Amino acid sequence: MAANNTPAGINKEQAFGMAETEMEYRVELFNRLTQTCFNKCVDKRYKESELNMGENTCIDRCVSKYWQVNGIIGQMLNAGGQPPM
Amino acid sequence: MAASNSENDSKNEIPSSSEAEQPQFQAIRMPTMEEIRAQEVWNNCAVRSVVSGVMGGGLGFFMGMFLGALDNPIMQDEMTGRQQFVYNVKQMGRRSLSSAKAFAVMGLVFSAVECVVEKARAKHDTTNTVVAGCVTGGTMSARGGPKAACAGCAGFAAFSVLIEKFFDRHT
Repeated sequence: MAANNTPAGINKEQAFGMAETEMEYRVELFNRLTQTCFNKCVDKRYKESELNMGENTCIDRCVSKYWQVNGIIGQMLNAGGQPPM
Repeated sequence: MAASNSENDSKNEIPSSSEAEQPQFQAIRMPTMEEIRAQEVWNNCAVRSVVSGVMGGGLGFFMGMFLGALDNPIMQDEMTGRQQFVYNVKQMGRRSLSSAKAFAVMGLVFSAVECVVEKARAKHDTTNTVVAGCVTGGTMSARGGPKAACAGCAGFAAFSVLIEKFFDRHT
């Protein structure tokens, strides 16, 4: 998934395909992250239009935890070929 | 306390469409770097508590001055007009300073405790106000013993919740 420098042997179509997959993955990650942390942290009564301090803190922590979990699971999936059942 | 709500409103850019009848919608703007940095500064607990303390000190200063001006000297018949005036001025100065100090400490402690509790819980609730009011009232009346501290805690917590609800309804 994280293909930075494609060697000269791969043709353009393959590179485009990988870039497309990567882009889709990134977009999906962003959308899910914002949705999860918004649903978890922001009070739905919408008493004011600015984020207050509690919500700010909550969003910081939510994003950090989500990113960490994402990294860990990505590493586990990359390392082990078969699921550890 | 009320400071957290009023400062949010002061940075709140209410688009005209929410109040006016005509459907003139403004585009959604992402916050600029200055706005984000200003919010970061305002979210700092030390900054908030110091500003609240200063505001409390100002309020206490004027209140003490007003109350000191109403104070009448004890030996009113024997003093001349000038002596009474000097006495009044001294009373005003003394009372305004002591009142300013008390209110400044009150504002500082309340704001600091509320900020810390809200950051720890990561929630915006009335529980933050209650805890902050209890700690402030308790420290202010701690000299009278544990019973007075409990009474001060409960009284100030109730008072601050009422003030918060009052300000919430009128914004």
